[in-house]
Amino acid sequence: MEKEFEPKIVAFCCNWCSYLAADSAGMARNQYPSNVHIIRCMCSGMVHPNFVIDALTKGLADGVMVCGCHPGDCHYQDGNKRAESRSEAIFLMLEDFGLEQERFRLEWISASEGQKFAGVSGEMTQTLKELGPNFYKS
Amino acid sequence: MPVKVVEEWLNSCSGCEISILNLGDTLLDLLPELNFVHIPVLIDHKYYGQTGESDVIEIPEADIGIVSGGVRNEEHKHVLEETRKKTKILIALGSCAAHGGIPAQANMYTNKDIFEKLFRGSPSTDPASDPNHPNVPQWLDSCLALDEVVEVDVTIPGCPPHPDWIAEALTALLEGKTSWSLPERSVCDTCPVIREKKSAAGPVRRCFENLEFNPEEGLDKMRCINEQGFLCLGPVTLAGCAGKEGVPRCIQARTPCRGCFGPIRKGARPMVDMMGAMSSVGLDPKTVVDRRAIMNRYIGGHGNLRPLPARPARK
Repeated sequence: MEKEFEPKIVAFCCNWCSYLAADSAGMARNQYPSNVHIIRCMCSGMVHPNFVIDALTKGLADGVMVCGCHPGDCHYQDGNKRAESRSEAIFLMLEDFGLEQERFRLEWISASEGQKFAGVSGEMTQTLKELGPNFYKS
Repeated sequence: MPVKVVEEWLNSCSGCEISILNLGDTLLDLLPELNFVHIPVLIDHKYYGQTGESDVIEIPEADIGIVSGGVRNEEHKHVLEETRKKTKILIALGSCAAHGGIPAQANMYTNKDIFEKLFRGSPSTDPASDPNHPNVPQWLDSCLALDEVVEVDVTIPGCPPHPDWIAEALTALLEGKTSWSLPERSVCDTCPVIREKKSAAGPVRRCFENLEFNPEEGLDKMRCINEQGFLCLGPVTLAGCAGKEGVPRCIQARTPCRGCFGPIRKGARPMVDMMGAMSSVGLDPKTVVDRRAIMNRYIGGHGNLRPLPARPARK
């Protein structure tokens, strides 16, 4: 029997909200798929578009999530606003590299929203399973 | 004893060879130390013996091999591999050899699409079948840079490369060094125009419009081309098109940099970096017409350009 395609998702989580959300998801025993590989970074605003594009075009990941604090909650005042404006450029580059827009997702998840983190991870995994593997993987 | 040199051209226009001749006086100084044993562009030397009697490709042994042009078909690949075998140091001369060059823009399409367009799709062409004569070399899947096929020791990018760098690289090799590379600077680092750090607004202007400048005044009185609202690839392009010193050539002609020297650092992705640079100036990358081709004009090799996958329309 052919094995079901298991996408690999890289999640950049900010140290102050989303990483704690992933933590609290664990503590509250909210199940989320093991496809998500979390990379902790200080702020969602530091995730350079290059990281996202490299992860996808070098065939390392099938999808990328960038998770930050809710607007206005940023530990560094406006880091997540920067992430938002960068995400516009990222969507444009996805188009140029021939990747589906669904392969990238920007989410605001606060430290207490473990449930939401689990939910978003599940949704993303489901979407990618439907999309199939990243074309650059081959 | 003079050093033996093999020069070979593949998928190229001979501009790089002309750049070698363009060395001028320096070439006269270098010539006693160089012995060109095979250079099909300038000197008659056949691959299969002078009368075609041999059936094995023959390229003489040499210390330095200079190759211009990318690798498009089986013949190029064969010649390149043979040159690599016979030479100790291989120089990739020009942007086609270094990054794929202009011909590598074809990497945006599959060979099937290209042949369809070439032999049947264009309105001025009488439809014909694809060439299948055994003497016509088969195309490779895409147009490659040299280092995608064989190991390259020295890379001199440029379209064409400036004679200064050819001279410097050759001199370095004659002195016994085994590697040489251009300094890692961007075109912006060598550009004298005024940067006001104020953002431009509105869509990116196209090359059909003129820049704003006073022809009486020097370049140091002109405003940065990106800030004027045009797309200039200076921020992501390696400097050196005007030689060791001097203002980048396109800027001298008061037109935006086209990016012929390729990325500043090996493996960088100018398209991604340029979009970052554009947003810091306030230009909107969405408004660049034919964005993918323009930002990868000379660097279609190394997988920078490839056919987009067919996929169902988005809901």
